[in-house]
Amino acid sequence: MKDRILETLRDLRAYALAKGVETAFLYHEEDSYLMRFANSAISLNTNEHLVRLQITAYQGRQRASYEMITALDKLDEMQEGVDIAAEMVQHAQPLSYDPTIPVYAESFSDESGHDPALATFGNPERLAFFNQAVAGLETDEIQLSGIFSCGANTIAQINTRSEQTQYFKTSDAQISIVLSHTALKWEVIAEQSAQQTADLDPDGLRRDLAFLLERYQQDAPQQIPLGAYDIVFGPAALGDLLSMMGYVGYNGGAMKRGYSFLREDQVGQRVFSPRFTLTDDPTRRETFPFRRDLMGMPRRPFPIFVDGVFQGFIWSQDDADEFDAQPTGHTVPHTSMVMQGSDVTASSLQELVAMERDHDVLYIPFLHYMNVVNPSKGLVTGSSRFGALLLKRDGAVVVPYNVRLTQSLLDIFGDRLAWVSQAQVVANTSMSYGARNPRAIIVPALMQVNGLEISHSNPSY
Amino acid sequence: MRKQLQEQIARLRDAGALYVDARWYPIEETNELLMWNGNLKEATASRESGVGIRVLYKGAWGFSAASDVGNLAALFDTALDNARVAAERVTFPVRLAEKDAIQATFASPNRTDPFTVPLADKLAFLQAMDEKLNQPGVSQRICALTFIRKQIVLMDSEGSEIEKTIIEVFPSLEVMGLDAQGMMHSRKFNPTRMGDTRGWETLDMDVFSANAERIVREMNEVLVAEDCPKDVRSVILLPGIMYLQTHETIGHALELDRILGYELSYAGGSFVRLSDFGTLRYGSEKLTARADATIPNSPGSFGYDDDGIPTQDNLLIDRGLLVGAITGRQMVEEANARAGRRIFDGSSGANRATAFYRVPIERMTNINIDPGDDGTLDDIVRNTERGIILDGDKSWSIGSNREQFHFATDIGWLVEDGQVTQVVKNSTYQGETIPFYNSLSAVGDESTWEVCYVPNCGKGQPNQIMQLGHGVPICRFDHVRIGE
Repeated sequence: MKDRILETLRDLRAYALAKGVETAFLYHEEDSYLMRFANSAISLNTNEHLVRLQITAYQGRQRASYEMITALDKLDEMQEGVDIAAEMVQHAQPLSYDPTIPVYAESFSDESGHDPALATFGNPERLAFFNQAVAGLETDEIQLSGIFSCGANTIAQINTRSEQTQYFKTSDAQISIVLSHTALKWEVIAEQSAQQTADLDPDGLRRDLAFLLERYQQDAPQQIPLGAYDIVFGPAALGDLLSMMGYVGYNGGAMKRGYSFLREDQVGQRVFSPRFTLTDDPTRRETFPFRRDLMGMPRRPFPIFVDGVFQGFIWSQDDADEFDAQPTGHTVPHTSMVMQGSDVTASSLQELVAMERDHDVLYIPFLHYMNVVNPSKGLVTGSSRFGALLLKRDGAVVVPYNVRLTQSLLDIFGDRLAWVSQAQVVANTSMSYGARNPRAIIVPALMQVNGLEISHSNPSY
Repeated sequence: MRKQLQEQIARLRDAGALYVDARWYPIEETNELLMWNGNLKEATASRESGVGIRVLYKGAWGFSAASDVGNLAALFDTALDNARVAAERVTFPVRLAEKDAIQATFASPNRTDPFTVPLADKLAFLQAMDEKLNQPGVSQRICALTFIRKQIVLMDSEGSEIEKTIIEVFPSLEVMGLDAQGMMHSRKFNPTRMGDTRGWETLDMDVFSANAERIVREMNEVLVAEDCPKDVRSVILLPGIMYLQTHETIGHALELDRILGYELSYAGGSFVRLSDFGTLRYGSEKLTARADATIPNSPGSFGYDDDGIPTQDNLLIDRGLLVGAITGRQMVEEANARAGRRIFDGSSGANRATAFYRVPIERMTNINIDPGDDGTLDDIVRNTERGIILDGDKSWSIGSNREQFHFATDIGWLVEDGQVTQVVKNSTYQGETIPFYNSLSAVGDESTWEVCYVPNCGKGQPNQIMQLGHGVPICRFDHVRIGE
């Protein structure tokens, strides 16, 4: 299949050259499977096979794109797309800068992230996985929801500047399992990310769910008072907070447009806690990495914060072109962020609960519907969900109704950061809007931040 | 193609499927143009076509979709196989509410198909708007146009065959600026419904020019304004934020699949229980809400849903009392059975999919608030002791059961003793859904009622984007926390 894809791209390149159109082609193919559970049944079982082609035409400073969902054998349709893009670009208004067209010095192919067994994990296997992960945990009142999403993703590129090609193929799986009480309305969750079948661990999910269920079944949920809490974030919450930082923090284009809480003069300055180190590390296979960006630039570990000191902004090619900056290999569908662990050995909720403490601690595994209230301040808001626990200093465990946090990322990752786990885990942050684009962040298993205000506390679910 | 689809549908029925439908998109086109500070950052056109197959077998759904329709039989077989596996884990066998077999067509109203308009004309419009926005105080200016045209053919095993042609136009203008402290502020213009059509003709240069000047002026007022106080006040929500309040805390909360727990692993549930229908006082007597997919000219009016049900106008909240939900054929049957009473008399025609490769789910139509009898904005302000007028959707975050919310807006105007006193920046408000709607104390009249469009409502797994509308008046709510 790889040869056929690249051959098609070469044919399209030849067609564009014959037409005299400066063109870049981006081919995307996905084979997606999703088994969705609700109310302890399979509520949906889907399979989509989609081929997308993006054709970008250039004419000096003018640029226009034509995208299609097509089929690999429809060369005529694709060539028609070239003609449409060529027509569009003639009318496009010139940019104020010269857009860079990639020139691939050599062909590049990376299929190291593709595990055929995971990509084609079958219907019976997905169902067996779920059955094993929730074995004995469901009752008439406690019901199963969740997804098992898996598939394969292929990206291939060529352009009229060179004959060289780029080819990336990955496999991925995202599993989330929710157990909820039909009458009391509480929900607990366990999640897993996989790049290969060896990453799948239904027993691990079952262990986490069973632990949460035991806590949730013991006591009735409570509304906790507003005020400042020492909060321990779980992997999903931490992954979401770091994703937000990607939007309103270290992105060079966002900074130039005023949509960032970081400034250029903060490069080299300590912005966050010395416990905070964040690196874009495409050597970590769990992040479904791109080892070259879409411009052909090799990608290597790129430190963004080291011991709280800001190392520099990331730049996509287009932003770098517009703002006269150096691109940093970040013209990619997703980055490979890794937050470094530190020295606390607790690496699971079970161990957190068992830790001795002299203050109450609020554990928040998941932040629902986070949004940016004020980008200039890094102010975000979101609500707890899926199994928060108030761990009392006397060892008691209270189940709280959901609470809302409205906090600045500068505070969350700043001097209030008390500790982070040594062990890291993978938080899958994939969405399935548009083309398949599996992504994950590697985060410490737990992170405690002291003195964060709860701005709202629910009286019920 | 239609004949082949019918043959495959019949073949799967013969193979034991309880129900089969095919949604064939001969073509879906989009055209997205985005100008940022005068740079045409995005000039994209797209085209797609394909088929999505939905099969119900022994009470369980299977789905498959492909852009390559060269082997239709295999595509149908995949959907059936997926349903067979799903049937191994069924707790409440899917039943579909009764419907009539319908042969019909629907076309959304427009005078000038935007896909017949030359690209040069579209870009000229953007450039004119960009020049209007290029004023002192403005550091970022964004002008965007999105056009959608889709042809959908729905065929099912119950004899329906419906063809829809939908055209949408979504324009927007936004300006941003930095205040003296270097903080970014923004102001947007997302036009509401203009006239009875939604083609190219709705891009009225005079209307856009006037609003471009307005948002620049208002953003500059925000840049020199004081911060929104942390306080408890009456909030007067203009349609530019009331639409989103309605969307998030009435619309999503009343989607029946959420209420029944079908979105628990992603979008969330709902605080509403089946026992609440007919008993829950959702809001004050001034609150009447409806799902009206029959109003002319809105993305939430689409003729027939993807179950083949004609669009309808249904009450959701009747003078404060919860009476209805946003429903499709499957969920109403399950809800009635679970509740042990007949809450819903059939589907309300709200099952829609975003594309051929996604499965239909309950989506909002036009979730509207009826106008009231409290007059104009001036009238409401005159009768407000301590309040704040809010407009513009800057940020929104809602609890997973839609039980509470936090919104930030582009702009606020403080109201003291019936007078607007000053503009404030960083305005926010938050609350709990039921107490909030029960504090509804004033609803503007028909003159304040506008239909706002939502081009990008997200829901479902795999994720789906949907277009819809909200007809809302100006509303006032009392005792609301602001400025946090």
